[in-house]
Amino acid sequence: MRLPQFFGKKRGHRRTGSQAWASLGDAAFHAALLAAGLAFGGLLVSGVAVPEWRINHHFAATTCTILGKGLVRRVATEPGGGSATAWQPCLRVRYEAAGTTVDAWSNPARSTLTGDRAEALKRLSAWSIGGRVAGWYDPADVGTVVLERGYNWPMWLLALVLPGALIALGGSGLLRSLRRWGRSEERCAAGSRLAGILAPLSDMPRQAHGHPSVPACDDFVNSPGTVLAYRLPIESQESWSLLGFGLFAALWNSVLAVLAVGAGFDLLGGRIDWLLIALLVPFVVVGIAGIVVFARGLLLATAVGTTQVEISGQPLLPGGTYEVLVAQGGAGGIARLDLDLELTEQATFRQGTDTRTERLAVWRQRVRSWRDLTVAPGTRFEGRATVTIPATGMHSFASEHNAVGWSLVVRGVPDRWPPFARAFPLVVLPAPTVTAPVEARGEPQATT
Amino acid sequence: MLGDAPGPGRVSNPFATRFTRPGAIPPLDDEGGPLDVASLFERAMSAGPVVVIEGAHGTGKTTLLVALLARAAANRRRMAFVRAASVADAWTVAAAIGGASRDTVIGLDGGERLPVGAFTLVRVLARLRGVVVLATTHRPVGLPVLARCRSTPRLLAAVVGHLPTHGGRIDGSDINEAFGRHGGDLREALFDLYDRFERRDGRG
Amino acid sequence: MTAAPDPRPLAPHVFVQFCHGEREYEPLDALTVRYELQGLGDEELQAVEHSVLWYTEGKGEEDMGVHFFERIVDRDRLPAAAVTRSFATDLPSSPLSYEGVIVKIRWCVRVRLFFTGGRDFVSEHVFTLGRLPPARMPVSEAS
Repeated sequence: MRLPQFFGKKRGHRRTGSQAWASLGDAAFHAALLAAGLAFGGLLVSGVAVPEWRINHHFAATTCTILGKGLVRRVATEPGGGSATAWQPCLRVRYEAAGTTVDAWSNPARSTLTGDRAEALKRLSAWSIGGRVAGWYDPADVGTVVLERGYNWPMWLLALVLPGALIALGGSGLLRSLRRWGRSEERCAAGSRLAGILAPLSDMPRQAHGHPSVPACDDFVNSPGTVLAYRLPIESQESWSLLGFGLFAALWNSVLAVLAVGAGFDLLGGRIDWLLIALLVPFVVVGIAGIVVFARGLLLATAVGTTQVEISGQPLLPGGTYEVLVAQGGAGGIARLDLDLELTEQATFRQGTDTRTERLAVWRQRVRSWRDLTVAPGTRFEGRATVTIPATGMHSFASEHNAVGWSLVVRGVPDRWPPFARAFPLVVLPAPTVTAPVEARGEPQATT
Repeated sequence: MLGDAPGPGRVSNPFATRFTRPGAIPPLDDEGGPLDVASLFERAMSAGPVVVIEGAHGTGKTTLLVALLARAAANRRRMAFVRAASVADAWTVAAAIGGASRDTVIGLDGGERLPVGAFTLVRVLARLRGVVVLATTHRPVGLPVLARCRSTPRLLAAVVGHLPTHGGRIDGSDINEAFGRHGGDLREALFDLYDRFERRDGRG
Repeated sequence: MTAAPDPRPLAPHVFVQFCHGEREYEPLDALTVRYELQGLGDEELQAVEHSVLWYTEGKGEEDMGVHFFERIVDRDRLPAAAVTRSFATDLPSSPLSYEGVIVKIRWCVRVRLFFTGGRDFVSEHVFTLGRLPPARMPVSEAS
């Protein structure tokens, strides 16, 4: 939730106004979350955590003699107007506390409420009248005794997780709002010592060392190639979308199968549930469509094969020349395989309640083209090329909503399948200046 | 005295988002004339705990909402802004209303994203908390309508008139074409004009 | 009969002079900015902020990165009208100024004035970092 900057008037390159009210609503919202977290957490701590801690640290040990057994009946009124009865086993015990003999009722170990009276009685049969059990009494109230200690960790987790999340969310948001209160946007963006702690999870990409706003290329240099120095990661999401379709088809058809089996048993039993059958029809259609889409995608992926690109150096520099290896798998003929170097701009804008992302390739150069290839099953085509980054080319840039990036794009036209395009991102640093150290790895070759 | 020398020769595209985003341009009516935000605000405060601004995509609902919230701030009233991006944000909206103090004005953008029946809850909560909710929505939701936003080519032309100069690179036919191509969605039409400006700025 | 005074506050003016007259810089260059304030009127300055930053412009949300920031609240150091003040910083290696199509990167200097009444006023002055040629709209999309 971010308040729009609506109270600044912009005239040309000048802007005037007051920023003070901008943070108020934001602060109020986060204060509400923080208060809810504190209240909920306080209730859980006082109701569960503190009593358990006292039992484990302050209660005094004693030995109890069982005098009697019984059931506590608890009646709860239900929303529908009825009531529900639950039973809880308990024991009457005698013990010595602070020099006196005390008789008191205590619940047996971690006894939970049960609606089944017989079950509650069965639990009670585990203890015998006259038997002796260990116990712990409250020195501040000797009539309170428990027969088990320890911690209910699931309840502690609940006491921490939900209120903790509300407190973290509300507290960080409130502190962020207070930090921004009446502050200029330049001062906020300049950051502070607490920025790393208080800032929410950001979409900002990691930066290359010594080059602000240039994305880091750790993912690239940590992936060695088989022939050249580095293997480039693929940018296309084909594999993920295929996996997504597969999971969807599997889940959907699993649910469908359960419903269909149920309907089938009904039919065999002579009962026809027309409503269920009518509902199943569109579900079956969607299920079959899911299988078809997944199967088609799988067939395409296996028939066309994977594309891999390796490069002799990373990160790249303007004016640098690098060797590239393109490896294309699959089975069958490829009429055309093109390798392009592209510069792409990407801009994301929050359009009302939608997010609009636009990408535009602003520069493209054909690096190499291969025609009439034949790839035998189990093998792959390998082609080599050299790519030169323009000397006046823009470096890679990435900010929260905008990016400028280079990539090698492999476009293929298989003989019997639809064309494909797979992009492999590159990181290009700014051209080194006289005083700046050159940080590129690999050896860029001199241009001729 | 120092001279204020002109900067390096750069022409900003007047259709860049920094000039067209909600709040950068004052809200205008269907024909491009100024909207009386003050009287709309007074009507909103007296119309009930929840009032809506109706309109299709890109017709200026958020711009009007932002202007009304600015009016609330100018009247020294507390205000909050919530954007509903999905059904799950119903909880965010409820929390914002629940956590707001009395007389707060809450702007809710994207009300059509909330689940069926959510506005009933919003109205009840708003009445209990004593706040006023101004919501934008694409469709009728059975609540008092403060304004119905509708776009026209004249409105788009008026919006363009409020932007920094385009130096004659855009004319009336461009505006009409952009409006028609995007079915009256002003935001998309402005993006279209952005592209036209770039092409004609000697860069195409 | 005298005219009623205009209740609107005067618009200040910030005159800025860069150490490079053409406002073109290379990465890692030293940037020195001198400035003068005019038109402050009777309003009293509470604080002044100097910043050197880049921002994006285009079809996306506006992003910003502040390279240099300084806030002056000490009354003795606050600039008076018509008195030249300055600030300086070494520019970074990136990002370079970029005239893209849907993404542009601009560098600027901002001087923001805070007045005791709560009002603030900002003056922005663009300069270039680097000498990248502008990008062009792809030929297939040109009209």
